[in-house]
Amino acid sequence: MDVFLRWKIIRIILTAAYLMVGWILFTGTLALFSIFLGVIFSFCIAFLTYNIFIEESEAARRALLPRIYLLLVYLGVLVFKIYLASFKMSLAVITANMNPRIVHFRTRLKSELARVVLANSITLTPGTLTLNLDEDHLIVHWLNAKTTHSHYAGRLIKSHFEAWLRRIWI
Amino acid sequence: MILLVYAFLGMGIFFGVLGNIGVLRFPDVYTRLQASSKCGVTSLLSIFIALMLLKGLTPMTLRILVITIFFLISSPVASHVIGRRAWEQGIAPWRKKPESRD
Repeated sequence: MDVFLRWKIIRIILTAAYLMVGWILFTGTLALFSIFLGVIFSFCIAFLTYNIFIEESEAARRALLPRIYLLLVYLGVLVFKIYLASFKMSLAVITANMNPRIVHFRTRLKSELARVVLANSITLTPGTLTLNLDEDHLIVHWLNAKTTHSHYAGRLIKSHFEAWLRRIWI
Repeated sequence: MILLVYAFLGMGIFFGVLGNIGVLRFPDVYTRLQASSKCGVTSLLSIFIALMLLKGLTPMTLRILVITIFFLISSPVASHVIGRRAWEQGIAPWRKKPESRD
């Protein structure tokens, strides 16, 4: 079989599988008719949209299947950190005491999706807001800045997230 | 269990109000975005968690979970778009005045 054709079929099936998981989560039943309908429609939609969801180059193939169990743990840690961040934020709102700076740093993550998740996590956690993400270069607005040194700031802001995400998306 | 639900709903109201006060009180675009993005997310997240606890383990909980994850993805992106536009327009971030110059 042709390599391109095989990769195309794999892409369609993978898109359909993701759509199917979404369908089951939203309908909440395992009735035969519901699953039958879900399979038909997810394959129709996957056939039309696989090119948008999964890009043609096989280079980022590893990014398509993250480690789900680590991702769930990451989500729990993230929710906890969001609460911590909000308590700090409410303190800043009440006292109006802050020292905002812009810092630049780079990330070592390879996959696009992992970079997007990193940027979102930075936005959601203590006093930092991602302004720009260009390839591997991040511009971050930092409330209560401790330093403007690029490497040190990067280590303070993204350290734990980057380590986790490298384990999830390899 | 019902007490936990009330606690989460109360936290939602608390953070929502504080986020709004922050938006009114902070000096420039970036700091206002900080207040709205963080406190807004936490407020809605608390309310979603309260609803999930209220419903128990039913299909509805899974639906709320999916909505929560979608919200966690989309809300930072919205604030990111505003911040990026402001940064590209060249709006300089507010800085604390040095104490010695007074």
